[in-house]
Amino acid sequence: MRLEKCWFCSSTVYPGHGIQFVRNDAKIFRFCRSKCHKNFKMKRNPRKVKWTKAYRRVHGKDMTQDSSFEFERKRNRPERYDRNLAENVLKAIPKIDKIRVTRDERHHKNRMKGKKEKLQKEAAKELEQGISLVKAPSALRKDPSLTLPQKIKVSVSQRQSEDNNAMEE
Amino acid sequence: MIQPQTHLNVADNSGARQLMCIRIIGAGNRRYASIGDIVVAVIKKAVPNMSLERSEVIRAVIVRTRKELKRSNGMIIQYDDNVAVVIDQEGNLKGTLIFGAIARELRQLNFTKITSLAPLSRRHAEVKKLGPSCPGFESFPR
Repeated sequence: MRLEKCWFCSSTVYPGHGIQFVRNDAKIFRFCRSKCHKNFKMKRNPRKVKWTKAYRRVHGKDMTQDSSFEFERKRNRPERYDRNLAENVLKAIPKIDKIRVTRDERHHKNRMKGKKEKLQKEAAKELEQGISLVKAPSALRKDPSLTLPQKIKVSVSQRQSEDNNAMEE
Repeated sequence: MIQPQTHLNVADNSGARQLMCIRIIGAGNRRYASIGDIVVAVIKKAVPNMSLERSEVIRAVIVRTRKELKRSNGMIIQYDDNVAVVIDQEGNLKGTLIFGAIARELRQLNFTKITSLAPLSRRHAEVKKLGPSCPGFESFPR
């Protein structure tokens, strides 16, 4: 039994799923579901289809080179069954997965670095330009420093909470 | 899903290039033939100066179909065209070489000559190269 990769979206194809297409030059294309198969028949290039792993790798959205990928290299030589080896491998797989996931997250964080500041700057600029939607122009003319909505502090006294309880009942 | 009037390409060097299916060998009103079935076919196109000529009626076994082949382990395989290999009345190959991929089903149906002549996949080639010394040689799926 072998877990293959879908040719189009690069997800794993488990046994019993998907279709294999054998082209006349004997190249085998495996698809995880009919969505990928149909896209292939439409002659779409997976590197241009946004939701595929190929696109994400090509456009730098996901990690491309990492030592954790070496563990999943395809090997064509069958291995002699060794119980210890099998046990160690089964123990190692979740560990490697976790490492890869943390590295993926780090890559994503690096990619999104500076996004928060960028959003805040854009928001400030938008507020400055569209302040007429928030405050009437006449109010601004009277007091031009009224660009940001002012924060009003309200102190809550103990007695108010008691009244609320009475209302609930 | 091969039926009478279906044109089939030929995957061997017997001399025929294109066949047209006339009849499916087997139970009476069988509608369609798939991989592993024998059909009676007439040669529509042939390579000149070989033993087989155009409009000769011969038998052939189907090796690749565009209709999906479903295996009991859940694997579904689809090829790019409908291809057959020329055979004689006893079931022996007419040609000496096979081109292209062949489905494993033909081994079970006693077409061992065809499967042995077919080109190997990369994994099969590795195992064959290493021979019995390769770990897992006996249990390798054939």
